[in-house]
Amino acid sequence: MSETAGQSELDDLRGSVRDFLSAKSGEEQVRRVMESETGYDEAVWAQMADQLGLQQLVFPEEHGGYGFGFAELSVVLQEMGRALLPSPFLSSVVLAGSALLAADDAAAAAAHLPGIASGKTTATLAVAGESGSWDPTALPVVGTRADDGWRLGGATWFVLDGATADLLLVAAATDAGPSLFAVSGTAAGLTRTALRTLDPTRRQARLDLDGVVGTPVGALGGAAPVLDRVLDLAMTALAAEQVGGARACLEASAAYARDRVQFGRPIGTFQAVKHKCADMLVRVQLADAAAQEAADAAAGLPGRAPLAEAAAVAHAVCSESYVFAAAENIQVHGGIGFTWEHPAHLYFRRAKSSQLLFGGPAGYFGRVLDRAGV
Amino acid sequence: MSTDNAPSAEVLDGMEDFVAEVRAFLEAHTTRLPVDDGAVEWGRGEDSIAYFPDDPPDVDERKVTAAREWQKTRYDNGFGWITGPAEYGGRGLTSVHDMVYDGLEAEYDVPDTGVLSLIGLGMIGPTILAHGTPEIKRRHLPALYSGQSIACQLFSEPAAGSDLASLETKAVRDGDEWVLTGQKVWTSVARHAQLGMALTRTDPDKPKHRGITAFLVDMSAPGVDVRPLRQMSGGSEFNEVFLDDVRVPDDHRLGEVDGGWTVALTTLMNERASVGGEGAGPAGKAVSVGFLAALMREFGQADDAALRRRLGELHADQAATAYLNRQSVRRMRAGVQPGPEASVSKLMYGQNLTRGAHFAAEVLGPRLAADTGAWGAYSWNELLLATPALRILGGTEEIMKNILAERVLGLPKEPGIDTGTPFRELRRSHQGGTP
Repeated sequence: MSETAGQSELDDLRGSVRDFLSAKSGEEQVRRVMESETGYDEAVWAQMADQLGLQQLVFPEEHGGYGFGFAELSVVLQEMGRALLPSPFLSSVVLAGSALLAADDAAAAAAHLPGIASGKTTATLAVAGESGSWDPTALPVVGTRADDGWRLGGATWFVLDGATADLLLVAAATDAGPSLFAVSGTAAGLTRTALRTLDPTRRQARLDLDGVVGTPVGALGGAAPVLDRVLDLAMTALAAEQVGGARACLEASAAYARDRVQFGRPIGTFQAVKHKCADMLVRVQLADAAAQEAADAAAGLPGRAPLAEAAAVAHAVCSESYVFAAAENIQVHGGIGFTWEHPAHLYFRRAKSSQLLFGGPAGYFGRVLDRAGV
Repeated sequence: MSTDNAPSAEVLDGMEDFVAEVRAFLEAHTTRLPVDDGAVEWGRGEDSIAYFPDDPPDVDERKVTAAREWQKTRYDNGFGWITGPAEYGGRGLTSVHDMVYDGLEAEYDVPDTGVLSLIGLGMIGPTILAHGTPEIKRRHLPALYSGQSIACQLFSEPAAGSDLASLETKAVRDGDEWVLTGQKVWTSVARHAQLGMALTRTDPDKPKHRGITAFLVDMSAPGVDVRPLRQMSGGSEFNEVFLDDVRVPDDHRLGEVDGGWTVALTTLMNERASVGGEGAGPAGKAVSVGFLAALMREFGQADDAALRRRLGELHADQAATAYLNRQSVRRMRAGVQPGPEASVSKLMYGQNLTRGAHFAAEVLGPRLAADTGAWGAYSWNELLLATPALRILGGTEEIMKNILAERVLGLPKEPGIDTGTPFRELRRSHQGGTP
């Protein structure tokens, strides 16, 4: 169903995304956008769709997409991670887009995917309560049947770009079991509160729902396998983004170690610094391999680990590696790395925040064992 | 899955004829092993997880004979040197064919040929092929790849470890011969070897890299004395080799006089290429997630949250390392030269096995410190006591990190006086620590 590009096509894609992001989302723009109300630049978002077709990339052609797969998506996400692009890409394309595809609901897909694919609509997925858990048997929102449809009530937390998304896919407990609902961002009874975030380049919100009208997406009571599938794809996508960020930290450290002179020689000649950089390289290579395996598995390539296993491994290894690389990057830079003006802290914030998105170390190491059948 | 070393369908693609030929050969000469489904059968069979085998001499001798015989059978049937040129007994095929052969052979009950392959066939054969005269190649390559001759590497010395180029074993020219004197150490398989590749100092007035010459030494020549070196794990996998006025004809020289460093680099590159294969062998099996989980169950700690967390951390890295290895195999197949992942794999291999052994120790507690007779408990010491070596042999972690940082990240070398100064004038360390 999806086309597979060769290595040179992927290199071309990487080149054009990198060029675009260095022009539109350099450090100066990132800093401006992260202080803004919405947390992303709507003009750049529109150009991503109109000039590069990034939002369209992975959606089937029938829904206005290009029908590419995870190989291409991974390249795009690596570059976004490298540039720290503040955008609703992960929430809209990956989370909401995957949920709509996984829900196997032709009407919902036809209604929402073309908008998401064109970038005209942004969407997100709301699952967790205040504990951050994605457990489908402990959903914080409850859906009840009313005469004229479904009403949702409860509070859901840590919703990526939840304050700005046009469309909210809300997982709710119902008498039929966990179910997915589409909710308009402007629905009556919905209160959206932007949360203060460790990472200013990715926004999170709390949604309070009080009798909000929701439209079921997919089978009633059928949300658990949808959420499993979305989580696997989201971990795989996030892993690619993390690799891009971790590699940016590694390259920054190596460049600084080559150039910075103390005691009359570049600090990279000292093994204490050199080995720090080598340790970062080892973790980045390992993260890259894990992210690649998961992306290949998601693309359905033969001879790979099953997606459930590879995605869990990638999420654990890439989270750990990015946090390590981002933290060591500050140490290699020394004092300058601790200043607000230096970008090292922006990567550190993104790394730590990403590590904690889907349950953090307490969740992901257990998931790795579960999926290994242990 | 992550410890599966069978070739994937993708690797086998387009190799149907070769696969059929290999299968026919293996079926005719050996028997198939039962399929390993990864299930752990606790308490059955040997519980040894020795990393460095420590067999009594008669068993050791039997294993070496079996290895030679199997290598001869491979060679006679065209599988002794799959990537080698035909004129020296090779088959002229690609490293992918080699990989496919190894993967298929692993399904059969064949003798372990590590005593031949790790050093001789994997490192010294390729070095002879790259640097030997046609006469040397004709004399040694068919003998090596047919199992007649076992080779060892006379490289490291007591005062030349990480800094191999500071070696001191002397070679002095005497007519058509050279006279070698010095001491080598950490020499694997020296007791069984007919051939040694020695690095010697031929000009101490040149800088250290430029006064080294390589020779092929007949290990039965007068003046060659091999003495087992007992490691901290108790066994004697390695040896010291003393060279006392050993006479070597000049036509046994490998490469130019004083050009031995280039020759040595070929050998060392092949060493790095041969490290890996985490899933293989009893140690790899023992630290697999399935086996460690069984260990936790067996000793009543299946639900210990702290142990499970550590096992999850370890398995995530093991799985990622396995992915990395598989991906480099795939890239090699696509014709891409191995990149930094080879060194990364080696570092992770040592660390993963070390972490696995210490994890088991924590599960076992006092049963590791004292032998209670419980199956699969005290035997973990065999691996535990071997693990420090995994972070030293084939390049210490520190040296591997220097290589990664300098060659991949482009960090500058540490400024040193040792590359331009005549070797004679360098400060050197000697046994016992006296400068």
